[in-house]
Parts: sequence; C-alpha cells; structure tokens
Amino acid sequence: MNTKKQLMIIDDDPDFVEGIKYILEKAEYTVDVAYNPKDGFNALQSKHYDLLLLDIMMGRGAEGIALARKIRKDPKLHDMPVLIITGIREQIAFLFPGQPVHPHFVDIDELVEKPVEPKLLLDRVSNLLKMAEEKKSKTEN
Amino acid sequence: MVENNNKILIIDDEDVVLDSCTQILEGGNYQITTARNGAIGLNLVEEFQPDIVYVDLKMPGISGFEVLEKINEIDPTIISIVITGYATVSSAVEAMKKGADDFLPKPFTPDELRLITQRGIDKRKLVLETIALRREKEMLKDHFAAIVSHELKSPLGAVQQNLYILIDELSDKLSEDQLSRFEHIRSRIDDLMKLIHTWLRVISSDDIRNIREGFSPVSLQDIITKAIDNVQTHATRKDIEIIPSIDTDLALIEGDEGTLVEALVNIIGNAIKFSRVNSQILVDAKEEAGNVLVSITDTGVGIPKEEIPLIFQDFYQGKSGHVAEGGSGLGLALTRRIIEAHNGSITVESELGKGSTFTIQLPIMKSDQPSHLNVETDVLAHP
Repeated sequence: MNTKKQLMIIDDDPDFVEGIKYILEKAEYTVDVAYNPKDGFNALQSKHYDLLLLDIMMGRGAEGIALARKIRKDPKLHDMPVLIITGIREQIAFLFPGQPVHPHFVDIDELVEKPVEPKLLLDRVSNLLKMAEEKKSKTEN
Repeated sequence: MVENNNKILIIDDEDVVLDSCTQILEGGNYQITTARNGAIGLNLVEEFQPDIVYVDLKMPGISGFEVLEKINEIDPTIISIVITGYATVSSAVEAMKKGADDFLPKPFTPDELRLITQRGIDKRKLVLETIALRREKEMLKDHFAAIVSHELKSPLGAVQQNLYILIDELSDKLSEDQLSRFEHIRSRIDDLMKLIHTWLRVISSDDIRNIREGFSPVSLQDIITKAIDNVQTHATRKDIEIIPSIDTDLALIEGDEGTLVEALVNIIGNAIKFSRVNSQILVDAKEEAGNVLVSITDTGVGIPKEEIPLIFQDFYQGKSGHVAEGGSGLGLALTRRIIEAHNGSITVESELGKGSTFTIQLPIMKSDQPSHLNVETDVLAHP
C-alpha cells in the first residue's frame, strides 16, 4: 500500500506557495497550505502530515522559528520532519556566503533557500520522508 | 481664514519700547507678550514658546547677549532679533554670532518693525518646514530596509521562484535560443535579488551592531579556513594560490562567526578579483599587543593613493578602470561595519601595480571570559 504522502506548506506569500505547491503536486504529493503560523499550527493539529515546509519570515518577524520550536515541543508533532524554505539568511542569520548554513538556532531537519531549484526541493523532500520512515520502522522494531 | 497666530516675545527694560512695539504689532494677528528683563524673558521663552523674540542688547541683569545664547539653547529654531540702540556693526555682528537672526536698530519706524517681524515669521516657518522634511527623510531612511524588504523583495522573490520552476518544466520543450533567453532573464533577476539583499544588509547597519548580543568565543583559525573554502573555486578558476599562515594556538576572540566569515570572504574575494592569473594571495594571522592581526596580501593591481580613504565607503567603486564586473561597491563598507561591530579596525596599504595588503585587527578575548569553544553559540536558543 503506497498512499500519497501528505505535505503541509506554511508560507505567507501566495505566489511563492503556488509555485512550490505545483512542483510537489506534480511529484505526486498531496499538499495543504496555510498562509500564517496560527492557521498552520491548527491544521497540523487536526490531521496527520508527513512533512512540513516552513517559511521563516512571516508576519512581524521570524515567526516561522517560533512555530518550529512549538512543533518540537508538541507531543504529537515533535517527530515531524521540518524543512525550512526561506530567503532569510540575509535577514537574521546574515549573509553567510557560499553554501546555505544550517541555522543551529532552531531544531529543524533541513534548510533550502529561496529560490529553490525544483529538483533540489524534491530531492530534499523525498530524503526527509525516507529518513522519517526509517526512523519510524526502527522504533517499531 | 484664521491663521495660526504667531507668538512674539519682546524683552526690553524700557516700557516705552515694549508699549510701542506692542501697539505697532497688535493689528497684525500676533500674540504678543513682553518682559522687562532677561530672567523673566527667558522664563517666558519656555512657557510661552514664542516664534520670535525681540531682545534688547543693553539691559540691567542678564545681558542681551546672554539671553540670546540661552534662547538658542532652549530652542534653536526660535527667531531672535536684537534691538540695539547703539547700532554699531560690531554689536550686531557679535549678536549674530551668539545666535541672533536679525537686528532692529533704534530708533525704528513702525514699518521697519512690521517688515522685520514678517521676515522673522517667514524664516521661522521655513526653519520648521526644513526640520519637518528632514525628519520625514530620516524616517524614510530608518524604515527603508523594511520598505525595500516588503515592497520589492517579496514580489521579486515569488517571480524568481516561479521562473525557476517554469525553466525547469520547459527545459526540454524549448529551443536552445528560447532557453538561453530564459536563462538570461533568470540571471538578471538573480542579480537584482542579490543587489536588494546587499542593500538591505548595508542599510540595516543597526542589525550589524545587534550581532554583539550573540557574541561567543570564536577561533579566527576556523573563520579563516571557512572563508578560504568559500572563495576557493574562484581562486582555482584564476589559477591563484591562497596561502594561509596562521600562528598555532591563536587566541580566541569574542565575536560572531557568520559575519566574520563574510568579512573575510569580502576581502579575500576582492584580492582574487584584483589579482592576476597565476599569482598568490597570502593570509596571515598572528597575535600582537592584545590583538589578533589578520592580513590579506595580494600582488594584484593595487589601489591608487587618492582612492584609499574612499574604499570603505558605501557604494564606492574604483575609478581607475580596474572595477571588477558585478560589484555593488558595498562589500568593503559592509566589511568595515562588521569589523567595527567587533571593536576591531581594518586598514589597507597598497601600491599601484604591485598589490594591496588589508589588515584586520581584532581584540583578543579577555581571560576572565569563558575560553572553551564548546559553549552554546546558539543565539536564538531555547530560553
């Protein structure tokens, strides 16, 4: 049985989301969207998602970070893979030249930068899903 | 239409002057208050908040000159006009030096008083307008980062992302020519995005000072290694060898690793840009008198003497025809700010045609601070 994986995107830019959602749906994922952290968190509570794609700069600042922390503390959600997708480097972590630098200030699984190459995004998403599944089967055994 | 009544304060020890001035100006839609000496006058300056103050130079008690100075201290935008019975040039000049805007020689005709008053009102209006404009400009400047960020960056970011997706999707359907035009658009948008990011970085120099909150002990050895790694491909492309020479056991400094790497990348990156093919760049680090000195030496084109004082300024790009393509003229300005936020300094020595040496000086961390590297460097860590 191989049902479609359920993904959630939380990002406040509808145009940006539209593009990302399109790529993911083309790759046979089911995608839900929330345009702010609050709606996003409610949605995550209401049904199971396999992975979260999360923007950092939303609303009045780095609200995505606060949400990521909340998720990590949540008994139901703390295991969910979180992929940060952000153009934030320059804004809070400052311009780390060269390759993206993992933001150690928040416990996330992976970070890609806006704009993201479609192939790279799909790669990261499938990797994270695979890792999550392996982890799950390990704990089950 | 009722105009905003302009307020006039007259400070003079002669009742006759106070009365006549009041009478002359009364018909002119002004609020007039008078004071018989400097002390009362100065109190009224604060209470009454006049637009114009007439000050007699020769009064018992506090002198007219002193009153002028005090008015200037209380509110420099108030127009002060000197009334002087001995209308010598020297006393008028002296009064102007103390901050008077104009002077009224005694005796004066009613028309002269009205004219000078009107002139004062006009000037005051202009001064206030200028201040208001300046404030508005400062506000705009302060919020420019946010404005640029929201109004330009977000929509452009969405365009950029969708373009990436479209190119990916269409890459096997388009002709080579069409694809190359697409790639061209993409590279232009990428450049524009980069430029906006760089501007944001420079404009928000307050943010750079904020990095101090997250300072932790860092090793310049690591930072230099990371910076070199970052620019290595550019160096290799030009067949340039980067030779680090770092003292062992280099003392730690108190700082922010990310921005320090950025600063070094800017400088080493510049060295690569301005170096000839198949040359060497030396990166030295050593301790000296309580500081760590990092110097980056290239044998490139060098910087003309007259440009050296300018290169750390915003938007400065070399004039001498050695401008590297694609520079924003902000890299060194940003670097300077980063180094200064670390209480350090950056200097350059250069000889045209022979090369440049940039030297960064950063204070060694004081020994009473924790000196192990495994401390949590986590700025936004869980509280």
